[in-house]
Amino acid sequence: MLWLALLGGVTGIDTVSCVQSMISRPIVAGPLAGALLGDPVSGMYAGVLLELVSLNQLPIGANRGWDTGPATVAASAVVALQASPGPVTWIVAGGFGVLVGWVGGWTVHVMRQGTARMVSDERRGSITPRALSVRHLSALTIDFFRAAGLTLLALFCGSFVLASAEAEPAAAGSAAAVVLLAFVGLTLGADVRMIAKGRRVAIAFAAGLVVSMMIALWRG
Amino acid sequence: MLLLRSLVIQGSWNYSTMQGAGLGFALIPVLRLLYGGGRGAELDEAVGRHSRFFNANPYLSTVAIASIARMESEGADAEQIERFKGALVSPLGSLGDRLVWARWRPLCSLLALAVFVLGASWWVASGLFIVLYNLVAVPLRVWGLRLGWKEGRDVGRALMGSPLRRLPDRLTIPIAIIGGALLPPLALAVGGASGVGPTPVIGVALALTVVGYWRPAFAGRLAALGLVLGSLVFAALEKTVW
Repeated sequence: MLWLALLGGVTGIDTVSCVQSMISRPIVAGPLAGALLGDPVSGMYAGVLLELVSLNQLPIGANRGWDTGPATVAASAVVALQASPGPVTWIVAGGFGVLVGWVGGWTVHVMRQGTARMVSDERRGSITPRALSVRHLSALTIDFFRAAGLTLLALFCGSFVLASAEAEPAAAGSAAAVVLLAFVGLTLGADVRMIAKGRRVAIAFAAGLVVSMMIALWRG
Repeated sequence: MLLLRSLVIQGSWNYSTMQGAGLGFALIPVLRLLYGGGRGAELDEAVGRHSRFFNANPYLSTVAIASIARMESEGADAEQIERFKGALVSPLGSLGDRLVWARWRPLCSLLALAVFVLGASWWVASGLFIVLYNLVAVPLRVWGLRLGWKEGRDVGRALMGSPLRRLPDRLTIPIAIIGGALLPPLALAVGGASGVGPTPVIGVALALTVVGYWRPAFAGRLAALGLVLGSLVFAALEKTVW
């Protein structure tokens, strides 16, 4: 649990505050969280789902998106701790991850307001290097503990989610697979359109889709 | 030292000064060298001046850090440096955001997703994403530092002539092709458990992709909300029905 919280903290600061090497992306944070629980593949599946949701989220200016790192760690834990995860588990974990991400985005917003009070003093004409360093690095540390705390809280709530998604009957699996299919279709179309626009893009998107579809159908 | 400090330039990102405190923090070693070693009113004033409002794409913030360091070392006056900083915000934000956030990161993500869906193991897909992404992100920081130091106050002109300006547009077509190509294998992977054949699975996914492409903002919100509601419904049914 503590290792997962630590990973949540590290991925939390990687999103904006520190380095931005993108280990906070679901496609990386998911399998890392899964690996800590002994099942990186399940973590990867949760990561793929959440990567699709967050692909078109661009951290430009003061844009406040959802907090992918802690959300993915929590969602991956839900999947990785299942004995035999299937479509129901993917949906429950994915939905739970999105919820944690939304809460995380709100905590980031509150933290940024606090940071503004801490580091910006309009009347200030000068500041010692030491004072600035302390304020700057304190803000970074607060972000780490925010993300780690959020992950810990999410893991605690995740234990209840886990209990509700234990056994997967076939009928539930089929229905869940259809929901997942709808989710994949909607997000992928929206992702590409929000990243790149224009006629040439639409043609390229359609070309990639048609060729891949023909190969998939040909292979059965 | 400047490069290392640039890694945490957003450590205290906030709605008021944005990266301001981070820029001041990154410049401290240079300012210490230029303003009497370690302490003094002049040094404090310079640190205060550089920790007011500033914002740029984090990867290209090194351009600003190095060019401001160069101007400070040349003895440019404070007002001139402030104007220069203000003028850098927009081009560094625009160029970096378009290149890294809007193009390079999605391209790396889609490639990694495609590799995984086509059967590669998790570590290959994740590793591909991290390595590929940072193959651009890390050299971009170093390039920015070199460019800023070399050009100083003329860095704006150098940025205008940089080949990086054309790169975002060139990445749109690969993103679209990979995005399109990813759909059928992904649909088959998740839709396989529904018990229907590959043709209806791809057909449904295709129809919804068209909806997503046509109304992206609506579809994005609907998909995220659908996932949350779906999870609640399935969790509730699990308890009561199944």
